[in-house]
Amino acid sequence: MELSTRPGRSFADTASGLLRGRGLFLIWVLIILFFWAWAGPTFFSLANAQLVASAASTTAIFGAALGLCAIAGALDLSVPGVAALSAVLASQLIVVGVPVWLALIVCVLIGVAAGALNGFLIGFGLNPMATTIGTLTVFGGIASVITNDVPVQLGVPSPLAWLGTSQYFGLPMSVYIAIAIYVLGWLFLTKTRAGVRMTAVGGSPEGARRIGLRIQGYKLLGFVLSGACSAIAGIVVASIINQANPSPDVQTLFEALTAVALSGMSLAGGRGSLLRVLLGALIIATVSDALIIKGIAPSWSIIATGVLLIAALGSDLLGSRGFSARRILASFRRGPGDPQSDEKGA
Amino acid sequence: MLELRDIEVRFGAITALSGITFSVKPGEIVALVGDNGAGKSTLLSIMSGARRPSGGSIIFGGETVEFSNPRAAARHGIQMVYQDLALIPAADVATNMFLSREILRRGPLGLLGWLDKKTMRREAGRQLDTLGVTTLSSVQNPVEMLSGGQRQSVALARAALALADSSGGGVLLLDEPTAALGYRQSRSVEDFIRRVAGEGIGVVLVTHDLPLCFEVADRVAVLYHGKLVAELQARDTHPDEVVGWITGSRLQSEAKP
Repeated sequence: MELSTRPGRSFADTASGLLRGRGLFLIWVLIILFFWAWAGPTFFSLANAQLVASAASTTAIFGAALGLCAIAGALDLSVPGVAALSAVLASQLIVVGVPVWLALIVCVLIGVAAGALNGFLIGFGLNPMATTIGTLTVFGGIASVITNDVPVQLGVPSPLAWLGTSQYFGLPMSVYIAIAIYVLGWLFLTKTRAGVRMTAVGGSPEGARRIGLRIQGYKLLGFVLSGACSAIAGIVVASIINQANPSPDVQTLFEALTAVALSGMSLAGGRGSLLRVLLGALIIATVSDALIIKGIAPSWSIIATGVLLIAALGSDLLGSRGFSARRILASFRRGPGDPQSDEKGA
Repeated sequence: MLELRDIEVRFGAITALSGITFSVKPGEIVALVGDNGAGKSTLLSIMSGARRPSGGSIIFGGETVEFSNPRAAARHGIQMVYQDLALIPAADVATNMFLSREILRRGPLGLLGWLDKKTMRREAGRQLDTLGVTTLSSVQNPVEMLSGGQRQSVALARAALALADSSGGGVLLLDEPTAALGYRQSRSVEDFIRRVAGEGIGVVLVTHDLPLCFEVADRVAVLYHGKLVAELQARDTHPDEVVGWITGSRLQSEAKP
């Protein structure tokens, strides 16, 4: 069919793609350069890079949990609850003498089961955010009940030292696990049938349904992957601090959410790049590391994370408008219901 | 081949369709017309599997079938192009065209569900070429970057691909395929419909576009207040008669004598 293309729109798309793709990397580089100038050689050193990588790795694994589910079109806020429950149970198994490999398998299976439960509940049409807040407290509560609210000590020497504290080529295992999860997650989302379908379901559930996809099944898959990643993150954190804490750590949830938002991933589903979530986690870790080096109170690093989040969302908006001041002014005059965004529903 | 017998659809106390008996033969183009709310889209959704009838039966290829969802209808070779196209905006053209019928790699990677993107892109491009779509720069562009007419082409090409898979004997359902298109684009939709029918596929076309009806349809079926009031051979009728049936004036004048 003979139809004209519209160059103006594709320019805006290119600009926003640049900002959300390579732009985020550029922001990271700028942050590093800024802190290098500010905090000096202590910041820009190999030893510190290793610290940043270790700190980013757990945020990144939690970020993968959130990101995989967000792409399927649901926000899974139960992530820290799943992490606490599976880490506590696996640690208890290890303490009573179950082989470590078996305990780790059980740990991931608990994550899978918890994710499946979330997906099952959402399959009834319950609101994902509210439901997973509910399961967050339920999972955390179960973890507290079975431990009498006392952290499970892994003991000395720790049977999970290889996972938590040992270093391989200068980096802890958590960094390699995070890299593996991101590579596998990226391959899954972009190269496999199930991943592409899950993304399609997240982006346009009604369209996917009418094409003939089982949308509940793919949403469930998103929650299962989220649960598995949460469980891995939970046991990794436990192995680092050598104890499994039954109370869900909500702060990690916010950091992971920030990493996801920094990546430009749509929390409504269907669009975004998992690899950029990794970059988001690195940016957060870089900022809080630099602030620690400068001896600035940790609360400031939380504020900085929040500012970063808002800045990321703002630049995203700018990108989608195509960077020009005229367009931005026009968008203010036009208000939220502008005709450009109307076209996306088709 | 696709036959509806005595179809009835009720929404609570409201009867949307009643006593609809309707069929489409291989290679036949049937236009389904009627005023807004006459039940055209409801009838189409029964055939596409998006909605189940409250009563009556669907016969396909001589057998009574039940379509519990669009997937079940698609398995029988029934493809629907929705008015809003039902595309995935963020996914690229090739992905959209092959969604739910993806081509996998051969060998062990295929068992893992690994997509053969190269083949899918090539086939998508070939299908679009067949349909005479020349303005698409790449099948790797996301659908949301395309113009309305290009999206329409992608939706039609997707249906054509799926029908090719069903090895003849399929049915294509089109809901207002020209509603959002200009004159030249509408002409290429006409060409598309004729080509599909030429391959032995039955086409059911819901439209308000009477010139299109008379241009391509073999038969015109008119719905009025949820009932099938007229089935006319396109060559034996004229637009005024069809309009008379659509507005119901014809119905009253026939009832008087």
